[in-house]
Amino acid sequence: MSVVVAGVDLGSTTAKCVVLGEDSQILGKSLSVVGVDIVKDAERALEAALVDAHIPRSDVAFITGTGYGRYKVYFGQLVVTEISCHARGANFLYPGTRLVVDIGGQDTKAIRINEKGEVVDFAMNDKCAAGTGRFLEVCANALGYDVGEIGPLSLQARRAVKVTSTCTVFAESEVTSYLSRGKDPKDILAGLHASIANRTLSLMQRVGVEPEITFTGGVSQNQGMVSALQRRLGAPINVNSLSQYLGALGAALHGRERITGGAE
Amino acid sequence: MALKPSPRARQWGEPVSQAVVAPAATAGAPQSFLRDARGLQRKLVEEYYHHLEPREGPSRPVAYLLVGGNLAEILRSFGYEVVFPEIVALNCAIKHQSLDNILHAESLGYGLDVCGYVKNDLGLQDLGGKTSFGQIPRPDLLVCSFSGCYIYVKWWEALAESYGAPLFTFDVPYMREETPRKEDVDYMVSQLWDLVHLLEKRTGRAFDMDELKRILTESRRAEEGWVEFLRSGRLRPSPIEAYFESIFYMFPINVLRGTREAADFYDVVNDEIRTRVRDGNYPLPEEKVRVLVEGVPPYTNYRTFWDFFRKWGAVSVVATYPKVGGLFDRGFRHDPSRPFESIAEYSLGAYVNQSWPLRRKIISDYVKEYQADAAIIHGIKSCRSFTAGQGDLRDWLIHDQGVPTLYIESDHQDPRYFAPAQIKNRMDAFFESLEQRRAVAAAAGAASA
Repeated sequence: MSVVVAGVDLGSTTAKCVVLGEDSQILGKSLSVVGVDIVKDAERALEAALVDAHIPRSDVAFITGTGYGRYKVYFGQLVVTEISCHARGANFLYPGTRLVVDIGGQDTKAIRINEKGEVVDFAMNDKCAAGTGRFLEVCANALGYDVGEIGPLSLQARRAVKVTSTCTVFAESEVTSYLSRGKDPKDILAGLHASIANRTLSLMQRVGVEPEITFTGGVSQNQGMVSALQRRLGAPINVNSLSQYLGALGAALHGRERITGGAE
Repeated sequence: MALKPSPRARQWGEPVSQAVVAPAATAGAPQSFLRDARGLQRKLVEEYYHHLEPREGPSRPVAYLLVGGNLAEILRSFGYEVVFPEIVALNCAIKHQSLDNILHAESLGYGLDVCGYVKNDLGLQDLGGKTSFGQIPRPDLLVCSFSGCYIYVKWWEALAESYGAPLFTFDVPYMREETPRKEDVDYMVSQLWDLVHLLEKRTGRAFDMDELKRILTESRRAEEGWVEFLRSGRLRPSPIEAYFESIFYMFPINVLRGTREAADFYDVVNDEIRTRVRDGNYPLPEEKVRVLVEGVPPYTNYRTFWDFFRKWGAVSVVATYPKVGGLFDRGFRHDPSRPFESIAEYSLGAYVNQSWPLRRKIISDYVKEYQADAAIIHGIKSCRSFTAGQGDLRDWLIHDQGVPTLYIESDHQDPRYFAPAQIKNRMDAFFESLEQRRAVAAAAGAASA
């Protein structure tokens, strides 16, 4: 059955949209920063993905909303949590995935899944932004960098400092303190990434660490974080340029399943 | 510490209005299954607080008690009014009036991590004890009858110092075995006689064993009715909400236990439950998931939390929290033929006074007896006595018992700790994954048929 479906992942920091065509081909995608009007952000995300796909909106048979703003995807026909969507998206891209690690703007999740991409168990960070993308952003700002720069810089560290706090506010103070003591910003960045890796590992252990592990969410695009996690795990993790779209992709897949009744 | 207010707090402090955090859009189905019993419960609550209002003329002495393992029957036999500050605090919280009291307590020096019940009450007391549901009377006596939480001892000490009222601390040994030890019961009975002698001195009245036995008979009758209500959660579908609805009906068993009104109340409740079953008037049109709930509720956002369940067709069929006032459903009853011994056994049997292996056994039995599909644990930030160990409980339920379990956290009293979006997200994901697994299992079953 030929159907075009879309998934809109309205996260706490960014909106992602994936338009999925026949044979599960990604026809188009978009990524944008969310503002105060998340209803419009959702619409813009879909429009941008449709432009990328070169298809009109009328071609889209079904739209699924996910992410914190999922109930604001008013034009959608289905709402699914991002936990289920990241699970499905990771399973689609890496069918051997048994553990998904999603580090987004304000959430870190460890999601254990089965061979069908269904959620078996999950654990999330507390309701503060400790150890999330926002944490890295605040620390990057404290060091005078753009958040996109800090991953590669952290890989150039010679001797990572020990950052004990993963509280976003306290870590910023800790960064400032290290700077005033003349520490190399690259070493501080490596310490920050390691502290997040430690915290993330703790979440992963709560649901059970089992390969393959797939890294999703915006922070998966940070090479320093990928490296810190792999070092802490002592094992490779799946990650690629689509990783931060896996929530939206999973939403689209859920939508397609809904209209096909699960038939391929 | 004394409850002396800081002058700065008086000078700068402004009342903070406490709004319901969650958007109204999340409100679920109307609670049409609740009928006469809920109305009667409201009436009993109103009458109780009205009765406590100060009035001219001679009045009965007031004793403050803690809910878990309380000695209400003995106090009642001496003519005391019994007041439960925990219940006053939860009434404030459910009516969105707790934050002002908590902030006031913090301005007095109580820290962020101090128990919400404690801060809510101490703040309220220092502000004069006036609530929207009545004026809470000052205590003439404080009876601390709870061993599961040491913060509570400090709470009662602060009140005793503030009001200059005597404090009687009833030392309850921690339960590590299912059956109480004789030496523990004997130790507690000796303390009960100490209390009786204190009460005789304070009231000038001689202890009346017949009166105590009469009160215990009423307690027992209420306990029978309460247990019948709780056990109706075993039916499929469940005609009751064992967590959310029980919170309403806990009031008589905890606050009015020993009175005829409390015992009669459960007759009304159980009549209603039988009518629900007869008429098919269930908490939800379709019971999709039967849930066991562990932990103290987030009273500040109680209905919002309930809606998070209802949206998924999840009905709480059994819960541990309604047992904080006594594990009556596990067989305990106050016994007029063994008055002091049974009071001692009651105090030992408070839920939070049980060791974790005992708590796990209770929960494991509940899962089987009530055919629970899943468990939700609500941990509260400011209570370690109830919450510590719940992370391990979650792992044990999932890995040893095979029960899908979700752990979420907020607070029972402090609305600042209730993050609706995060809690809803976790609950949606949990129920969603249960639903998916069921759909897959059903499809597999159909394919193999």
